[in-house]
Amino acid sequence: MTTVLGWLAGVGVVAGLVMGFGVAPREVTQGNVQRIMYVHVPAVWVAYLAFAVGLTASIAYLARRRPGTDRLAHAACEVGTVFLGINIATGAIWGKPTWGTWWTWDARLTSVAVVFVMFLAYLLLRGAIEDHERGARYAAVLGIVAALNIPLVHFSVYWWRTLHQPPSLLKPGASTMPPVILTALLVNFAALTLLGAYFVARRARVLAAEEEALA
Amino acid sequence: MIERRSKETLNALLFFSLALLLVFQFALGPDRERLASVLPGLLWLGFILSGVLGLGRAFLVERENDCWEALLLAPGDKSAIYLGKLVSSLALMALVEALMLGLFVVFFNVELGPALPGLALVIGLGTVGIAAVGTLFAAMTAQVRARELLFPVLLLPVLVPVLLGTVKATEALLLQEPLAAVAHWLKLLVAADVVYLAVGLLTFDVILEG
Amino acid sequence: MPDNWGFVAAAYAVTAGILAGYWRMLVRKERALTGLRSGTEAATGAGVRNDDTSRSRQPSRPGHPRPEPGKRTSLP
Repeated sequence: MTTVLGWLAGVGVVAGLVMGFGVAPREVTQGNVQRIMYVHVPAVWVAYLAFAVGLTASIAYLARRRPGTDRLAHAACEVGTVFLGINIATGAIWGKPTWGTWWTWDARLTSVAVVFVMFLAYLLLRGAIEDHERGARYAAVLGIVAALNIPLVHFSVYWWRTLHQPPSLLKPGASTMPPVILTALLVNFAALTLLGAYFVARRARVLAAEEEALA
Repeated sequence: MIERRSKETLNALLFFSLALLLVFQFALGPDRERLASVLPGLLWLGFILSGVLGLGRAFLVERENDCWEALLLAPGDKSAIYLGKLVSSLALMALVEALMLGLFVVFFNVELGPALPGLALVIGLGTVGIAAVGTLFAAMTAQVRARELLFPVLLLPVLVPVLLGTVKATEALLLQEPLAAVAHWLKLLVAADVVYLAVGLLTFDVILEG
Repeated sequence: MPDNWGFVAAAYAVTAGILAGYWRMLVRKERALTGLRSGTEAATGAGVRNDDTSRSRQPSRPGHPRPEPGKRTSLP
């Protein structure tokens, strides 16, 4: 199953690159540097999707205590952190030519940075607890707190400072984005989701092997 | 014994507040205006830092005296223990915050006046949030080897919304703005408190399973 | 506005780098674990204690379950 996912992800990535560089036009205001968005934006969507999976798996683990669910939570939160890191890095690289600065404390960047640090702390906790079962329980609790905190972080940071472009996808009414750009974003989103799912599956498999080896 | 520990902690935190005040003054220099503009942030920095110190010791007694197992084996709903620890932490933090606020008023010449009731509300809401997550995380890190490092690393990122909300609300209130102007921050703080308390109450016995 | 293709390339390269790095980490862990398993089989066959080479191939980051050093006995 993991291999199938891997190959699908590969196909998806190729499709995404084709859309991002071949099909999508040169953006009017920003120029071709806008093409970074085709990896930057889907990356954060995948990250939050992963954290949602992590939240669900954490709750499910506390309810049923199935080790497979715990491995899923761990893998999902880890992969989510990786994709959030990609989002931050590509955002900074995009920001330098367009905004003139690698970093600015505007609403979106700041809230992503906070969420990133929260889930880095999650991974730190995982590494710090030696007893496997206790680590799973504690990480589940932290995973729930961190995931539920995400909307609180977003609102607080957004109200604290608003310089970033308003999220055009979630604006009520018609999207202001030309449809071909939207399509390219969605194709890349699908590609990165498949890639993320592949990594989650593979990471969970490694976790299972680790458990077995040290049993 | 518990009293001795709490008094120890309280004394230490009181001196910590004083030390922090001096550090803020020296770090930010004599520029009156600059200090005035960052005062709300400094105040909450002081509250959160002393909170981290105090909460980090919340389960010290149990740890030091090998009573941890007693906690685990205690019959009944473990969330009662959570609430108990929470309330005692709140009391401790309230004392320290009152003192710190007093020191700020004296040393930085802050005009509290009509802002006080609103300020008390904001401080109350913020402190509940800090203590709610802090007590949960303190129990979580109590048995971990690197707890002094891990506890603040876990707590501080999670507390960002509380920090933002309280600082912004405090700022507005100290500028004599009405409470209605910070209604959205108050709602955020209440929402945060509800989430943190709910998770704390629901998951505390999971932490105390072993 | 200039095209800044250099930045576009940098962004995609960094993404590829991060993903490749993560993939390599997974492969390395998998290899260490299969190495450990076959190392165990060889050890039980030859009646030798866990030697240093197999232990050094352990993932260096604290993995998922991690027994304390004192508690470590020979693997099943």
